[in-house]
Amino acid sequence: MLPLSLLKTAQGHPMLVELKNGDTYNGRLVSCDTWMNITLRDVICTSRDGDRFWKIPECYVRGNSIKYLRVPEEVIDMVNEEDLERERTYNTLSSPFVSHLLPREARHWQVCPGLSKSGRVGGWTRRP
Amino acid sequence: MTQGLYFMVYRETEARGPAQPHAIMAATLEKLKDRVICVITNDGRNIVGVLKGFDQTTNIILQECHERVFSTTAGVEQVPLGLYIVRGDNIAVVGEMDEEADAALDLSSLKGDHLKPVIH
Repeated sequence: MLPLSLLKTAQGHPMLVELKNGDTYNGRLVSCDTWMNITLRDVICTSRDGDRFWKIPECYVRGNSIKYLRVPEEVIDMVNEEDLERERTYNTLSSPFVSHLLPREARHWQVCPGLSKSGRVGGWTRRP
Repeated sequence: MTQGLYFMVYRETEARGPAQPHAIMAATLEKLKDRVICVITNDGRNIVGVLKGFDQTTNIILQECHERVFSTTAGVEQVPLGLYIVRGDNIAVVGEMDEEADAALDLSSLKGDHLKPVIH
């Protein structure tokens, strides 16, 4: 399972984010992207030493400043089978070692989860 | 000619998202999937948990993890943490945990100095 897919599944759930500078942000995950940049809602920020607190209605955290995220345990059960199948195809075909062997047009194709069940090899299709 | 090819591959991977280094590293972590591992982070923390997932930048999913805090005075303190996503930038070492050897340890009497954080 990819960490970023787990994070995507955790949208809407409360979580704890510790930054590299030691500050902790406790809030509900609104959204995340491929660089782990996240937006949180109803956040309580605690300073590194635990002596100062801020209440922030909405905040954006840059992915590269994150040390770790603590996610509720039920989220891992929510990542469903279809997402795992899609990941498996993505992992093989997106690797730079393989992708340059695909036809040039294939580089902007995306995995279409529905088609992987129809028996097409790799489940790739053209997306506008 | 070869340089041009590498440049093309680099451009494609960049468009896909974060940098994708070594597939060799990912192959090593694949072996540890669903096993108990021990992670040492850049700030010198020792975290033990089940490896549920990882990616090319070594971001890691640890389930049922706990932190082992070593001290020179008292025994080892195990702090339960739950489900963690640890960012790859912060990981120094990942190792497979020998569960039998670990069960044989008496952690409450084990004393040791804490690890220092990584200096770049």
